[in-house]
Parts: sequence; structure tokens; C-alpha cells
Amino acid sequence: MSIRAPLVMLAGAMATGLAGYALAEPMAADFIDRLETQSAAAIAEAGGTGVTARFASATGSLSRHPLLSGGEDLDESVRTRVAREVYDIPGVGGVTWSDGTVRAESDEPTYQPLHCQEDVEGLLRTRSIRFEEGSSALLPSSRKLLNEVADALRPCLGSIIAITGHTDKAGTEPGNLALSMERARVVRQALIERGIPRDGLRASGVGSSQPVEGLAPSDPANRRIEFSVIRTEPLRPTPVDTPGAR
Amino acid sequence: MPLWFELAALMIAAYGAGIGIGWALWGRHDQQED
Repeated sequence: MSIRAPLVMLAGAMATGLAGYALAEPMAADFIDRLETQSAAAIAEAGGTGVTARFASATGSLSRHPLLSGGEDLDESVRTRVAREVYDIPGVGGVTWSDGTVRAESDEPTYQPLHCQEDVEGLLRTRSIRFEEGSSALLPSSRKLLNEVADALRPCLGSIIAITGHTDKAGTEPGNLALSMERARVVRQALIERGIPRDGLRASGVGSSQPVEGLAPSDPANRRIEFSVIRTEPLRPTPVDTPGAR
Repeated sequence: MPLWFELAALMIAAYGAGIGIGWALWGRHDQQED
């Protein structure tokens, strides 16, 4: 390729840019006039007494991104409403307040709550993870159940999953404590083998100190493993053009 | 951002996209024939 082709392309790009400028300049005044009229009406309707919208960039050129000023003594909710009303006018870009941050965060959560905890509890309501008596070896039937538990926990990766082992009152408490801890560790290891990341899993044992509500501490049904999904703080969505109070 | 700048940037982007698509469709083919 000769040097001519890139030069022609560059010249074309410059001509296109100039054409953009030449097209925008004559219609800008009318367009911005219309936005100014509409925004003044919208501000008045939203109760934003004293608020003015300036449709110009820092250099003074006409812009469709208004800078709202005034109304410092207004209630935050009124300011939010004013900003939203102005933002809703077709043609208006991002709204900024002269006395505040560029954009406010949306107050609507955009994440869906996960139901891992409920799913796992549902699985363990009728069945439980069982061990050989006095040992931390899993019974074969529990392996299948653990597969299902791992599947139910998978959507909550990123959360902390606490695995707590419990025993009944039989035996000595130090022994029970050690056994419950060992059982929780075995379950943790089994979940790691099923693809749940090691980092999010916490195993602990409480012995017989927390029997099932309504059951005698000596009841064998107290031998169990409990899961709690501790949700970590969800990531805040990046605010994009979401007008707020300031 | 000035209004003219937004329009000019949009048009230059469209111009660049047009050049890119044109090159992908025909330019590459011409080079192979050379």
C-alpha cells in the first residue's frame, strides 16, 4: 500500500469531522432552545424553584448535557425528582449538578437475590448428610446428596458458605466437638472435590451445644451438618447517566 | 461535551467503521490477488 491511501483516509476523516461540525452548528441553537424550554417546564413541574439548567459546556459551546444549579436549600428528594424530570426529556444527555458529584447512584438494586440457602435447606429438610457412627466417614447415600448440595450452592459462588457440624449428647463433649469439626471438614473437602472453591468454604464444629429446636440433646437427629450462605456485599452497579440529587 | 463535537465524533466513528467493513469485504481480497 502506498502512502497515498492513508492520507486519503485521513483527509476523509477530517472532512467527515468538519461536515459534523458544519451540520451541528446551524441546528444546535434551535435544538438547545427547545431543550431549555422543556427543561424549564420540567423543573417547574417537579417543584424545583430556583433551579436553572444551563445547556453549555465548560468552554461555552452548546451542549445537550445540562448543568443544574441553584435550589441548594431544596429537599434532596425534590432535587432527585428535578434531575430525573430533566433527564427524561428526549435529547437530554447526562445531568450534572453544579454543586455536587457528577452522577448519583441509582437507588434500585440491580442484583437478583439468590436462594442458595433456601435450596440447600430444602434438600436437607427430608434427607441429611449421614456419617458412620462415631466416625467422620460419609455414608455412600450421602455422597449423592452432597452432589445435589454442591449444585444448589453453585449459584452463590462468591458468598461465604459456612458448614457447621453438630453431634448429639452421646459421648464426651470434647470428643463430640472434635468429631463435629472433623465431619464439617469432611463435607468441606467433599464440596471442594465437587468444584466449590476452597476460599468460600468455612468449616466449624459445635459439638452438642446447639441441638435442634424442640429435640432432646440426646436425640440422634441432632447429628447433622448445617449450611449457611453468608452473602457478601453485592457489587454496586456502575452509575451511568443516572441523575440524582447532587 | 459540545453538541458539534458529539456529532463530529459520531460521524468519524461511522466513517471509520465504513472503512473497516469495506476493507474486510474488498480490500483484503484485492491484496490476495496482487
